[in-house]
Amino acid sequence: MKSFGNKKTPTQVLNSEPSKNSKSMATKQVRYEALVKALHGDLYRYGYWLTHDKQVAEDLVQETFLRAWRALDSLKDEKAAKSWLITILRRENARRFERKRFDMSEYEEASIMDTQSTSSEQEIENQWLRNKIAQLPPEYSEPLILQVLGGYSGEDIASMLNLNKNTVMTRLFRARNQLKDALEKEPEKMRFRHE
Amino acid sequence: MNDSIMPENTMDDLQYRRSIYADPTSQDDKIIAAQNADPAKKQLAQELGRFDEQLKQAMKVPVPDDLCSKLLLRQTLASHQQEKRKSRVYLALAASVAIIAGLVVNYLQFSSSYTNLGDYALAHVYHEQNVFSNDDNNRVSLVSLNKKMTAFNGHFSEPMGELISADYCRFDGMKSLHLVFKGLTDTVAVFVVPKKEHLAFTDRFSDKKLQGESLGFKDANILIVADKNESLEKWQETIINNISWTI
Repeated sequence: MKSFGNKKTPTQVLNSEPSKNSKSMATKQVRYEALVKALHGDLYRYGYWLTHDKQVAEDLVQETFLRAWRALDSLKDEKAAKSWLITILRRENARRFERKRFDMSEYEEASIMDTQSTSSEQEIENQWLRNKIAQLPPEYSEPLILQVLGGYSGEDIASMLNLNKNTVMTRLFRARNQLKDALEKEPEKMRFRHE
Repeated sequence: MNDSIMPENTMDDLQYRRSIYADPTSQDDKIIAAQNADPAKKQLAQELGRFDEQLKQAMKVPVPDDLCSKLLLRQTLASHQQEKRKSRVYLALAASVAIIAGLVVNYLQFSSSYTNLGDYALAHVYHEQNVFSNDDNNRVSLVSLNKKMTAFNGHFSEPMGELISADYCRFDGMKSLHLVFKGLTDTVAVFVVPKKEHLAFTDRFSDKKLQGESLGFKDANILIVADKNESLEKWQETIINNISWTI
């Protein structure tokens, strides 16, 4: 191979292109696997809280990662990966609503995780809380999940949800307020109590 | 704000409550100051912090064990298919490029973008003006010139000057003979061109620098192109006196 800048002969082009291509494919593959391993759990949980359905959440995550794979080159900053994926997932979820607008009533309280029927006190509390979170209006629960589970700041959430920050903070306040109210009404459900 | 945890005596309390409910981990200066001033406020923040911890535990619904491997598998399958599609696309692309390249070459070689002999001759001379120089020492003998002239059934009886080059060339798609003679100040180009209809015969032609004349024979045209110091009549005369055509 000659130095850079020289024109490649046709045979050099033929020889070097596939290896360069497969090399970049390999790095892409590594990046993708790292993303899947690090973030599929967060994404699934986020999808679950958006849809309240395990199977739908799983489908959403699959669609999200498939789209992410195709668009992976556009992700420049790995630190932004999670919010990037969440944005894709939210868009996928919106598409799902466009597709089946009439199935929305399916996702009722009954389908909220109810698997741990014979579990510890902790699990019973979790289950109770899950139901309460699921009962929050989605515009309140979504920022709350992004904040508590995702660890995002008010500004981050505002930009992810296309809202202004004051709106987000008000919704976060109302979300916690409603949960605390629910707790006040059924104090026996939780060990957690105020003095 | 029913069922309040703290008494809400002042607006400050309400503001604090709204802020801390919106973000229990807030490190905002005003929030910290309020907490330091009032232990009850600090306590509320800690309490909400514990509540958040519980919320977080509740939100962490179990993730299906096989989800990760499913995602990796699906991607492998998808990208495999994508690759297959891609290579087909590349093949189709390469084929199209080849076809277009073929058409372009064809077009450039055989299309006539000039409508008369004179224009083409001038363009041809300009195109090759750096190839030949009046000082070239190369000479072509009459014998080898006449050998080339057989393609046009023509024959020169005597040398017409100092012939620098005699080569076949494409004269707007037609196989022609391009002769370059040493001239007074610059080379003189003589083209022997078969008669074809698609270029109109032009008797005389010229531009700022060059002049040219055409001689029409039975089966061929002979064009002379030279700079304006040359006497084209003299060249014409020499050619007419020298050339003979078989059949």
